[in-house]
Amino acid sequence: MRLLAYVCREAWANVRTNRTTTAVAILTTAFTLACVGIFLLVYVNLRNATGWLQDDIKIMVYLDDQLPDEAAVQLEGKLRADRMVASARFISKAQALGEFRTQFPADSHLLEGLGENPLPASFVVTLAPTARSPESVKRWAERVRTIAGVAKVDYSQEWIDALAGTIRYLELAAIGVGVLLSAAAVTIIGNTIRLTLFARREEIDILRLIGATRAFIRVPYLLEGALLGACGSAVSLLVLKIGFEWFRQQIQTTGRFGDLGSYLTFFPPSVCVALVGIGMGLGIAGSFVSVRRFGEGRA
Amino acid sequence: MDAERVSVDAMIQLIHVSKVYDRRAALSDVTLDIEKGEFVLLMGPSGAGKSTLLRMLIGAERPDQGQIFVQGKNVTKLRPSEVPYLRRRVGSVFQDFRLLPKKSVSENVALPLAVQGVSPADIRRKVTEALRAVGVEHKRDQLPHSLSAGEHQRVCIARAIVNGPTVLLADEPTGNLDPALTGEIIELFKLINARGTTVVVATHDPHVMGLVNRRVITLVGGVLAPDPQVPA
Ligand SMILES: Nc1ncnc2c1ncn2[C@@H]1O[C@H](COP(=O)(O)OP(=O)(O)OP(=O)(O)O)[C@@H](O)[C@H]1O
Ligand SMILES: [Mg+2]
Repeated sequence: MRLLAYVCREAWANVRTNRTTTAVAILTTAFTLACVGIFLLVYVNLRNATGWLQDDIKIMVYLDDQLPDEAAVQLEGKLRADRMVASARFISKAQALGEFRTQFPADSHLLEGLGENPLPASFVVTLAPTARSPESVKRWAERVRTIAGVAKVDYSQEWIDALAGTIRYLELAAIGVGVLLSAAAVTIIGNTIRLTLFARREEIDILRLIGATRAFIRVPYLLEGALLGACGSAVSLLVLKIGFEWFRQQIQTTGRFGDLGSYLTFFPPSVCVALVGIGMGLGIAGSFVSVRRFGEGRA
Repeated sequence: MDAERVSVDAMIQLIHVSKVYDRRAALSDVTLDIEKGEFVLLMGPSGAGKSTLLRMLIGAERPDQGQIFVQGKNVTKLRPSEVPYLRRRVGSVFQDFRLLPKKSVSENVALPLAVQGVSPADIRRKVTEALRAVGVEHKRDQLPHSLSAGEHQRVCIARAIVNGPTVLLADEPTGNLDPALTGEIIELFKLINARGTTVVVATHDPHVMGLVNRRVITLVGGVLAPDPQVPA
């Protein structure tokens, strides 16, 4: 306990005497980690978005134009009985026409010339939460397509799939960038610790000669690394948060993207804590490497 | 005397110790015993291997051949993690083993205790004792740069004995002191030795030999010279 207090005081003294180097190390680490953070933030938000889109997915089941009403009612019963279906709303030909008119008032004259209402009746189906994965949506759609009286099954899966594909690439890129920049952070902190070690080499030699254990000598530098990593990470999160809020503000004031701004999320507190922890780990790794290298070939 | 035998009384024992640096022998086949409570002068010209021998005794250097025992423990076989514990039992005053410039005299002397986690009360007591033993108690709150050369060396000795070591090693402890101060420092070592600590002082200064008048071990070019100078 007493040793720990002593060691902590030493680490703090290191940080205080090298205020400039410490600040530079924290800022460069913060910058590096912020780059990783941006990637992570984009990734998290895109993932959220696909989640919502997938949850929101509506499947249009269009009926044969000549289908009698009784058959439509029967089909509705069949759909409702399906365990994978959460809800099925019937849209008659007339309703479809009405919706078209309200949605595209300028184009409603296009339909006039056709005389008879060309729009088919349909069901808008929402699948149960457990059946919303891209694969099961696909399977369900294929099954329903073969039912007599169904003309066509439509859903917006394609571009959700495309988005999911993009996210997979982004995931790989994020891992690559993350590993690369984390290595950079380790190097930055490692170099800072090496400077401290070099400045205090005489003191380290003296500690060795008076019988200080290796742990006693090393721990202050490892703590310093941990502190640098944690501070760097915290600063990067702060910068990201400020940048994120600014970005959201910007989006909301231009209003061009609807209410997209309110859908954007920052990292939850638990993830922030984890990121600071990771920064700390990187810092310890960096100082460990330097301390190891420094200790080599010395008695 | 048969040096191959591990003597029970031997505080320090070297058995056929050799060390080569860059194909040049710093020590060749050195065999010797130093008994508990002895005061030994390790003499020899520059480059004779005196420092190398002392450094081996605290595990800072390993022999290429031979065995070294300190208090019956084979220091050539120590694991790196055991070396600090050896150094807590063996005090050393080395030339390049300065005081920490930003810490006060008492903080410097307290360092060997602080790294072992000794309580502040015990540290204060032992530091006072050690500073009193070397006669610089009144300088306890000063910084090293305000000390004279003699005082500086005394504080180094206080740091070496604050642990109550069984062996005290000194490499050229009077290297940059004038003859008067050299005498004072040697007297101090004699005093420490009189309290039961085994003392080994390495020096190339023949003047010191006259002051000590104890057992002398002479190294020349890494080879142990025969022991003729034991005074009656
Ligand atoms: N780390 C080292 N690397 C290479 N050679 C060394 C090393 N340490 C000592 N030597 C060589 O070993 C020999 C013995 O050196 P050592 O320092 O033990 O002598 P010394 O008797 O203490 O001399 P001095 O009186 O000058 O201090 C010298 O030739 C020296 O150059
Ligand atoms: Mg020497």
